[in-house]
Amino acid sequence: MTMTDQPADALPGGSRPLDAEGKLTLTLRVNGREHVVRARPQHTLLDVLRNEVGLTGPREGCGVGMCGACTVLVDGRPVSGCLLLVPLAEGHDLVTIEGLDGPDGELHPIQAAYVAHTAFQCSYCTPGFILTTKALLEDNPDPSRDEAKEYLAGNLCRCGSYVKILDAVMDAKDRVRQG
Amino acid sequence: MTDDMHRGTIDPVRGGMLDALERVTGRVPYAIDIEVPGMLHARLLRSAMAHARIRSIDVSRARAVPGVAVVLTGEDLAARSDIQPWFGPVFRDQPILAMGKVRYVGEPVVAVAAVDLDAAQEALDLVDIEYEELPAVFGVEDALAENAPLVHEEPPRIGQTFADLIIDAKGGTNVCNHFKLRKGDVEAGFAEADEVFEDLFTSPPVQHVPLETHACVADVRDGRVTVWTGAQIPFVVRSQLAEIFGLPQTRVRVIVPTLGGGYGAKTYPKIEPLTAALSFVARRPVRLHLTREEEFVTITKHGVRIRMRTGVKRDGTITARQSVCQFNTGAYADIGPRLIKNGGYGTGGPHHIPNVWVDSYAVYTNIAPAGAFRGYGVSQAAWAYETQMDMIADKLGLDPLEFRLRNLLVDGQRVMTGEPMFDAHFRDLLGRAAAWIGWDGGEQPARSGSKVRAKGLSCIIKGTVTPSTSTASAKLNDDASLDVLTSSVEMGQGMHASLALMASQRMGVPVGNVNVSSPDTDVTPYDQQTSSSRTTHAMGTAVMGAVDQIREQLVALASDQLEINPADLELDGGVVRVKGSPDRSIGFGDLIRRSRSGNLLGSSTFRTEGGLDADTGLGIGSVHWHQAAGAAEVEVDLETGRVDVLRYHAGVYAGRIINPVQAELQTEGNVAFGLGQALFEEMVYDDGQLQNGNLGDYMIASIEDLPAELHTDVLEHLEANDIHGIGETSLPPVMPAIGNAVYRATGVRITDLPITPEKVLRGLRARADQEVHSR
Repeated sequence: MTMTDQPADALPGGSRPLDAEGKLTLTLRVNGREHVVRARPQHTLLDVLRNEVGLTGPREGCGVGMCGACTVLVDGRPVSGCLLLVPLAEGHDLVTIEGLDGPDGELHPIQAAYVAHTAFQCSYCTPGFILTTKALLEDNPDPSRDEAKEYLAGNLCRCGSYVKILDAVMDAKDRVRQG
Repeated sequence: MTDDMHRGTIDPVRGGMLDALERVTGRVPYAIDIEVPGMLHARLLRSAMAHARIRSIDVSRARAVPGVAVVLTGEDLAARSDIQPWFGPVFRDQPILAMGKVRYVGEPVVAVAAVDLDAAQEALDLVDIEYEELPAVFGVEDALAENAPLVHEEPPRIGQTFADLIIDAKGGTNVCNHFKLRKGDVEAGFAEADEVFEDLFTSPPVQHVPLETHACVADVRDGRVTVWTGAQIPFVVRSQLAEIFGLPQTRVRVIVPTLGGGYGAKTYPKIEPLTAALSFVARRPVRLHLTREEEFVTITKHGVRIRMRTGVKRDGTITARQSVCQFNTGAYADIGPRLIKNGGYGTGGPHHIPNVWVDSYAVYTNIAPAGAFRGYGVSQAAWAYETQMDMIADKLGLDPLEFRLRNLLVDGQRVMTGEPMFDAHFRDLLGRAAAWIGWDGGEQPARSGSKVRAKGLSCIIKGTVTPSTSTASAKLNDDASLDVLTSSVEMGQGMHASLALMASQRMGVPVGNVNVSSPDTDVTPYDQQTSSSRTTHAMGTAVMGAVDQIREQLVALASDQLEINPADLELDGGVVRVKGSPDRSIGFGDLIRRSRSGNLLGSSTFRTEGGLDADTGLGIGSVHWHQAAGAAEVEVDLETGRVDVLRYHAGVYAGRIINPVQAELQTEGNVAFGLGQALFEEMVYDDGQLQNGNLGDYMIASIEDLPAELHTDVLEHLEANDIHGIGETSLPPVMPAIGNAVYRATGVRITDLPITPEKVLRGLRARADQEVHSR
């Protein structure tokens, strides 16, 4: 049996019918804007954000939710976009790195802190780290270095920019508090 | 928005990245972001067998799947006269798709290009392959045994080679290449020794794990090949694609965006030949983006067994060393034939040893190919010699620091490849490492409950590829902004920023007005490779040469316009000025406009000389020698065997630092990289089947693995007037520094990486048993 043969009600997305190509029509709220997309029920949020919404910030690193490169804030919580089947993302508030800088392109204070500390090398992981930092500071506006380490342990940086990332997080908490 | 943001975020003093804004907004484009209209998507069916003859492949049902454009097999490729289906940087031993037989689990066998990945996968699920299993070899010992099954029956086809390469490959065995070093008289050296130590050291294969896996888009139509790929060596990708399609190199265009990590994984062609072959057959653009699981079976660090004999006098003087290195190069040679040279001579270490004998082998086996990996064989070599240095010191009752200082090379002494050492800083680097960590040779391990702490040291030498060539060109525009054109690859090391800083200083224009290109072989001039920690030194020198040509033209133009002798003119801050007359000057832009030059062009070639003799391995091993030291303090839990690195000092010699923050980042990154290899990274095989080829089972260092104190010490010596690459140099010390600290903490000597809790516990138990027996 191929994937597209599966009955729709066996998959997330409920009992809505699939179209001729085996796709559902979904409405996603991404970075404050609604996007109507077509996707197969087994597609991940990451696939759809990249291929249908056209975002480049969320990136596949491992496909199994271990590296954090595909982090998306779902109602403010960091979630691995590679693990979330896209129908489950409907009705939630989704934020990617593209939703952080302001309308005139001014950086979010967390982004500014990452720039100030050059808290990246290849920067493939950077959007994930910045979004997780945002969630951290919303949970705990004044984390210690150890608390920040624990919170960020699910984001991997193979270039090993961790010292500068921690410096940036500590700086970011001051910048965020000062607004 | 600050002014900084308008002109780019690089700080002329602190350095940084030119495109920091794109990097924190998720907009910097990688190969995975390339979209070409009409593009198909490729998926691969890979071998489930380690070594097997392909009896038949039935793709008829796969070809019938709607949306499938091409289903390609090795047999299809072999039947075509318009594709030469073999590739590889040294030997053309790797088929674009397996032909006749498969040589490792994970080898691509069938490729599908379809309108989307779902259709491609559906087609692959309908392919039937019949194999006839063959006896296989997985470890170097099996592969070198008499009558071992051959991974390659035919002698290697040697393709275009490299100036520094030494080939000694005969075929008929699994030896892919053999490198020999013969310095002095090693038997006389051992005869002179009071003690001879012989030990076996092993390192396992590990994977680079660039967070961006290999990705490529190819468009092969109308006798023209265009590929967008995350490749560290664009010009070898170009020459190989030209060879595969029988085209002049000018018909092949390789475009390289920024890389989401490389670490050697993206040197030489990997997926480009297959992606291009699919596009050629489909007559449409094709994208191939590997999954993480596929990345693990695409390229690895070499696993190795190094048997090392070292002769020492009782006073701690080293008299001789002999090493036999067996590098497991996997099923295809890739760059293994060169890497075993660097890893082989590398076992000579940073010590003055008059007599050195090395036999270093690349050995074919039925596991995934091994190739370039940050450290390039030197990590494996240093794990052996820096571990053995502590073992020797222990046996002779010497302080490991004193023992090293007695033997570390000084200027004028001959390095292992025979040339005299110059600009040596080993003692300084190691001394500073020892001082920072608080080294005391007599210090006893500090015990607290079940935990015990101690310190370890190491010091290494590493060459850079020699001879080598880089070319650069530069364009000064009529607003005094400068375009620098090079084929150096930005992969997070901050190369763009470093070259911009160098060009800016030399040209006398603000760094914000300098742009540095990414490689596009239609446009940018030749570079040998972005690897071997060579770009800042080699390409940086070429860029400055190109700027110097523009400077000369500016002086000539100003001399005409001001009617002043060129000798009386000087360049200063964007103007040409009459010496001694500060108000008589003319701006760069004015000079270009008034002379109707359009822009001023400069170009320059940087070329190093050297190389080693094929019989003795002696000559010029490296144009200059990279140097680093490490010091670790670890805490070992005696109940669980767990090792925590509490403090680490990474010292590295830079000559002159160009981009300070990137220098720190590269050095800190080496520590994270090395920590994983020291403590947990290992590709585990069972009968050729990789057991942990995904990031659920294969751990890399996270932020929580970071030592609480991580100190980087990037040493400058401006008088040397030289720039040393630091991209890899501080990595090899990490593993032995940690291993030596674990020994001092526990008395358990680990000689096979990684230092897992199981090995530590086993060692502790063995020691406890010994104590019982000796009572």
